[in-house]
Order: sequence, then C-alpha cells, then structure tokens
Amino acid sequence: MTTNGLIKGVKSVEALESVGVRVKHVEQPSKESEAKDVLAKASREKLVVFPVGGGTSIATGVLPENVDIALDTTKMNAVASFDSSNLNMTVQAGMTIGAINEYLAGYGKGFRIPLDPPFSDQATIGGVYAANSSGPSRLRFGSVRDQVLGVQALDALGAEVKFGGRVVKNVSGYDMTKFFIGSAGSLCLITSVIMRVYPMPGATAVCDGTFTKLDDLERFLETLRGSFLLPSGVVVESVNGAYHVIAGFEDHPLAILRESRDFLDMARKYGGNGSSKDGRQALREAFRNAIEPVEEGVSVKITVPISKGPRVMEAAKKLLPQSKAVLYAGNGVICVYASRIAADDIKELKGLTDSVNGYVVPVRLHRTILSSWGPRVDQTLNKYVLQPIKRQLDPSGVFPPVL
Amino acid sequence: MDAKIREKMQQIAGKDNVLWKDTDLQVYSYDAGLDKGKAGLVVFPSDAQQVAEIVKVLYENGLSYVARGSGTNLTGGTIPLNGGTVIEISRMNRILEMDLANERVIVEPGIFNLTLQNALAEKGYYYAPDPASQKVSTLGGNVGENSGGPHCLKYGVTSNHVLGAEVVLPNGEITWIGSKSLDAPGPDIMGLLVGSEGTLGIATKIVCRIMRQPERVVTMLAVFKEIEAAGQTVSDIIADGIIPATLEIMDNVVIRAVEASVHAGYPIDAEAVLIIELDGLTDGMDEQMKRIVEICEQDGAVSHRMAKDANERNELWMGRRNAFGAVARVRPAYLVCDGTVPRTELPKALAAVKAISKKYNLAIGNVFHAGDGNLHPLIMFDDRDPDELARVQKAGSEILKACADLGGTISGEHGIGIEKLSDMKFIFTDADINMMRGISLAIDPKGLCNTGKLIPRKEMAN
Repeated sequence: MTTNGLIKGVKSVEALESVGVRVKHVEQPSKESEAKDVLAKASREKLVVFPVGGGTSIATGVLPENVDIALDTTKMNAVASFDSSNLNMTVQAGMTIGAINEYLAGYGKGFRIPLDPPFSDQATIGGVYAANSSGPSRLRFGSVRDQVLGVQALDALGAEVKFGGRVVKNVSGYDMTKFFIGSAGSLCLITSVIMRVYPMPGATAVCDGTFTKLDDLERFLETLRGSFLLPSGVVVESVNGAYHVIAGFEDHPLAILRESRDFLDMARKYGGNGSSKDGRQALREAFRNAIEPVEEGVSVKITVPISKGPRVMEAAKKLLPQSKAVLYAGNGVICVYASRIAADDIKELKGLTDSVNGYVVPVRLHRTILSSWGPRVDQTLNKYVLQPIKRQLDPSGVFPPVL
Repeated sequence: MDAKIREKMQQIAGKDNVLWKDTDLQVYSYDAGLDKGKAGLVVFPSDAQQVAEIVKVLYENGLSYVARGSGTNLTGGTIPLNGGTVIEISRMNRILEMDLANERVIVEPGIFNLTLQNALAEKGYYYAPDPASQKVSTLGGNVGENSGGPHCLKYGVTSNHVLGAEVVLPNGEITWIGSKSLDAPGPDIMGLLVGSEGTLGIATKIVCRIMRQPERVVTMLAVFKEIEAAGQTVSDIIADGIIPATLEIMDNVVIRAVEASVHAGYPIDAEAVLIIELDGLTDGMDEQMKRIVEICEQDGAVSHRMAKDANERNELWMGRRNAFGAVARVRPAYLVCDGTVPRTELPKALAAVKAISKKYNLAIGNVFHAGDGNLHPLIMFDDRDPDELARVQKAGSEILKACADLGGTISGEHGIGIEKLSDMKFIFTDADINMMRGISLAIDPKGLCNTGKLIPRKEMAN
C-alpha cells in the first residue's frame, strides 16, 4: 500500500471528488496480495471500497456519497504474460489501453488489441472492462465482451476467483467473464484480464467525407452498411451544421484500395466531399480526434438501434448545442460530451431513447444528477436478478451498490 | 406426476399439449449424451405467457423442470432428473421480426438454427453461429449452451451474437434482458444467461445480431500425411496474420468413416485433412489463398483441392457436418469429448488422446475446430458393454484433464451438463464454484430450474 491516506493529487481521488464523492482514504496496491489485504480489512471493518482505474468512466455505476477507501488499481499495471503464438495476453487491471498497445506494437512484427475507447492513455483495461467502454473499432472487432477471454478478481472478502481462460471457446460454468462487464466495481475487484491479441493488419487507411444534410448522411450510412465493405470503424461527428464521417479500413492491401475507392464513390453519390489517407497512425489520430472532447467535462453514452443513430445524435446535439456529439455508426453508440448536463437534459435524452428501446448511460456526471435518474434497469430484473446476486456476492456491502 | 399438477398444465397449455404416459415420457428422458433421466411430465407451451404460468405452478409446488428444444445436447444438460417436468419449446418456433435496417432478428426459442439461416440467406444476411447440429438444434438450445460451430473462429460464438432476450425467471416472472440496442446498463446479464444451460431461466424471445453475407467465399481442402503437420499449418496461417472463417481438421479414423458414409471425396489414405475457408471482399482474397497454399506446402501438405463452385464447397462441408453421425458405422455408440487447448498445444493434446486411447483400449477418432483449439475426440464403443462404457467415461474425463493441464478448458461448446460436473475441479477452485453457486442461488433460490446441472454439488467440487 502506497499512499496510506495521502489523497491530495491522486488522480483517482480527484476523479471521484469531481463527481461529488467524498473519499476518506486511498490505497494504490501494486500487487494482488496488497489489494487482498485492503478488501479483507474492509470486510472486517465494514468499510465501503470503491474500485477505480483511470477514472475516465467514473459514473457508470452507482456513486456513493462517501467512500472509505478508493482502491486505485493504476499501480497494478504490468503485462503478466503475452503468448504471441496463441494471440492472447494477461495484463493487470491497472494498465492503460495506450500502454498495452505500446507494449504490443514493439513486439516482433507488431501486435495490438482492437480496443480504442476515449482517453485510451488514461483508461485502464480493468476500468474499460468494468465500465463497458468502447471505441470506433467495435464495429469490426466488437467490444470488451468480444475481446476479453478471462478475468481474475477478488471477491468482497478478498478471496481470489478466476473465470474464463486463454482459449476463445469456453463454456465451462457460468460466463462470469461476461457478467462482470459493466458491473462498475459493484461485485468484485478486477485484478487481471486475459485479452485476445491481433497481428497488425496488412494495410490501413482512413477515409473521410462531409455531408451537409442529415438525409444524405443517413442514406450514405445505409448504403455503406449494405455494401460488402468491412470498415473497422465509422465515426460521425456533427460539426457546425454539417456531418463529418471518418471510416477506418484495416485489411489486405488490395482490399484497402477497393474499400477506399468505393467509400469515396459512395460519399460522392450522396453529396459528400471526401478524401483518404494511408497509414495506421493517421487512422488512430483521426479516430482519437473525433471521439475525444477538447476539454474534460461531463459525458453520457447513448445507445440506440443502428438506423436511429444519426437522428438521435442530431436531437442530442440540438438539446445540448455546446456539446460534442459523436456517433459510432453501425453500432448505434453516441458519446455526448458537454461542460454541463442538467437533470432535465437527462430526462429529455431518456425520452429520445425510451421510444426506440435504447439506453442512456452516465459516464462522467455529478452524483446529484445520478440520484435523480430513476431506475436504470427493468424493475423485475433488478428485484429478482441483480439485487439477489449483489446480496449473494457482497452481503456486507463492501463494494458500491449495483444499479 | 401428481394428477392435480397435470390438470393445471392441461388448463394452461391445452389437453393435447401435455404428455404423461410412460411410453411418451421415455422419449424425453435422454439426449445426445450418455446420461439418462426420468421425466414426470412433458408440456408444450405455445407462448411466453404459458411458459410463465407453467413455471409459476412448478415454483409454487417446489417441482423441478428443464426447458428442452431438440435434445441435441451432448452432456446430459436437457434430461430431466428425478421425475422433473420437461418444458418443450419446439412449438415456439417463429421468426417474430426481421429488422434488416438494424441488423437484428427476433425469434422464438424453438426455431431451428438452419431455418433461421435459410430465411436470412434469402435476404443476403446470416447469423454466424453454425453448430454442426444446426439442422435440428434450436436457437433456445444454442443460447443455453453458448453453441459454437466452424465459423466461430472468425466471428465468435452465440454470446457474441445474442444481444437480448425475453426471459421467464425461475419464479415465473417475465422480464427483458438487453434489446436491439447495445450496452444495456449494469452487469452483462445477457452474457451470464447465454451458456447457463437453462439453469437461470427460460428465454422465450431472442434478439440476434445478423450480418451481411460476404462478397466471396473460398473453400479448400488440404491433405496431410501427419496430423501434427495439419495442426502446425493452422498455427502458421494465423501467425501470418490471416484469420480464415474456418479451420477444421479430421483424422484418418473420421475420414474413413465419413467416406464410407457420405462420400465427401476425402482421400482415405490421408492421416488428416484440413478444411480452410476464407470469406470477405474479393479483392486480396486470391493472394491470401495463395499464401495459405504456400504455408500448407511448407508444412508438408501432400495435396490440396480448391472448391470450384458452391456444389464442391457443399461436398467438402458435407463430410465435416456428418462426421459425428458417420462414426456410428464403426461402433454402435460414441461419446463426443469437447475440450479446448491453446492452439499451439494441439499436437500435445492429440498425443494425450492417443495415449488415452491405448490405455483404455478404445477407438478414438478426432474432429476439431483447429483454429480455436477446440477438440472433439470421438470415443467409439458398444453401449451394451458395461465394462467398455465405464472405460469410455474414464477416458473422456482424462482427455478433459489433459486439456485443462495444457492451459485449456473442459468445454468449448457442449457445456457441462451432468457429464462433466466432477471435471469442473480441473479448472475451478472452491471459491470460483462458490461464486457461481451464489449466482444460481440468487436467481433460482429453490433450485428448481434445470437443477443438478452445470454446478457440482459441494462434495463433488473437492
């Protein structure tokens, strides 16, 4: 344990305080055994522990008013193993996505994990997993639920548990590896994650196009989805009344040539001016610039059926004109960043999604907004599934409440 | 089964939709695994409301039950224990919505996997999980078992393609988990439900992700003198950065059985054949296939055959899809093992299977999803010989232990059911199993929902 209560200047604590959570003490274990001691103590002394990584999706779960111990995982940040032949790796929960990809890029011919959530240099793999964060590349590669093969965790008493493994196909017992995704620290402390790893693609290109009409954008996206092209991600940003589309392609060099050409032809057909550029760095930067806000503020994630994405993004932008609204097209995921989002705005956003069976998920919001949010999951599901599980797995409430 | 319960079931589902005579019940007392059970009653509901009412009656009376589709389960997961009720969902078999604009379909659980595939193919779409049993296995069963199939190498298993479900919980309440939209708030309950082998509830509507059919599909068969060389080829193709849609290996025992049965055109003197399929954009595919052929030759392939058209492609696949059935020509019965190892450990796993085959004097053929490291050793035997049956069970367990020891697991796609309960200790600690038991207790506190499956009793875990 490193900080022993010295909480000034610790990023995880600042992240919690920024959303209205008072922290009494912080622990930054560098080993699983240290984290175990923290949980054993918390369980004995009935303390509330809040697991936290880079703090980039701090409000995904329930934010208590007071936290006894912020259990900061960022010093548990090593690669435990990397099996380049079987394309998997085990990493400690506190390693950032950026650091993992830097490690992999320098190994042999170069490898990567296809996770690119916002703030990848701060977001830890444990946090991305617990918050179910994602980036544009989920279009081709899926999200954490498609990329994580196994997980090691500590339960509320500090006992080690391990689920999943190093193999892709695994139906041995309940799929706890999936179940903990999105649990936001309410059920256990994630200590390590086993990931799928991919070789670098043969070639990479980034294409873009700008559309001035929403109808044109929608028809373009529909045509792109109905085509044989296989973009790794497609991001749409609403900027000054126009719609800027960025698409990434990662494939065989000949396929890339075709995909870039067809993308630009399609864009032109619907009035979009476009361009294309080769190279992995260009793609990474284009996606990053598109999905991250210039200034840190508050944020929510909206998910809707794919075809509703452009209209809901537009409506969110109208509701919050100063916001940055970004659509992961093909997935129906919209990230909204603003300097302020009020409780009434949340009500409006929920109105937009309720009618299409979508969701609004807080990512970074003050706890006072969350307290007026209302039920976040179906009440039957909550009563007969979520709360009974919480009582079984964490009977004394060491971790924050489940939704 | 108590006559009052039977009458209640008849009121709910209709008189003709309840079976209770011994001869009828026999049919529902086994599945494709080795274990046998005993059904007390079989009910055929026609919608979610009926399922909920049936479950409520059973819950209130403390009676166990199991939801069942076509009964293709290979580990005893769908057989009723102790006279439990079978809730047979095969009449709930409609496609409720085909929402191409949002790349989703909503189906009832009793629909066959292949029926859905055929309906989607007409629209230019497909649903990726394609278990070998797809002609008759139901989507509800696929969800319960988290089914895979050859194409899961590139596209993932059922849990990667099922996004939501209407579920009847063990107390008879109906709820929705997930939807057509991604990322429902909170823990991934849908992820927990898929592969829970019917122990946490009964899915009555299922939301599936569908995908556009690829522009081009190319299939080839590579022939090897040594099975190890075929395994090495699989690792080398993936290491080269190519992820084919499928990489399937069959050994000589299976090749001979298949040829005698369906005449797929496999060379019967080959020690192994490898089916390789690429899909995606036309551009670059010939170059990738050329590279794959180079790798095959480098690794010792003696020949290869490229399917020229859809007929030839179907022919190559026909052998693989009928492999399990074909081995029945060799011996009257077989046990399909289902272990997974890291891909590069396949040669060691095959050596272990060979040694176990010798140790127990049993004929074992090998079919495997090689790209996933998912082995299906087929232990062939005569189930009328109790001594041989006992050896088969021991051999099956030892094969799974070998997979676990090589860094793999005891089930890739067939589940735990009853057959592998005592093998769970090969991969889980008491703490792991206790946590899973906690999940089961939370959702099914009376322990009625497919009870006795997936989670070992406390004494078995040690």
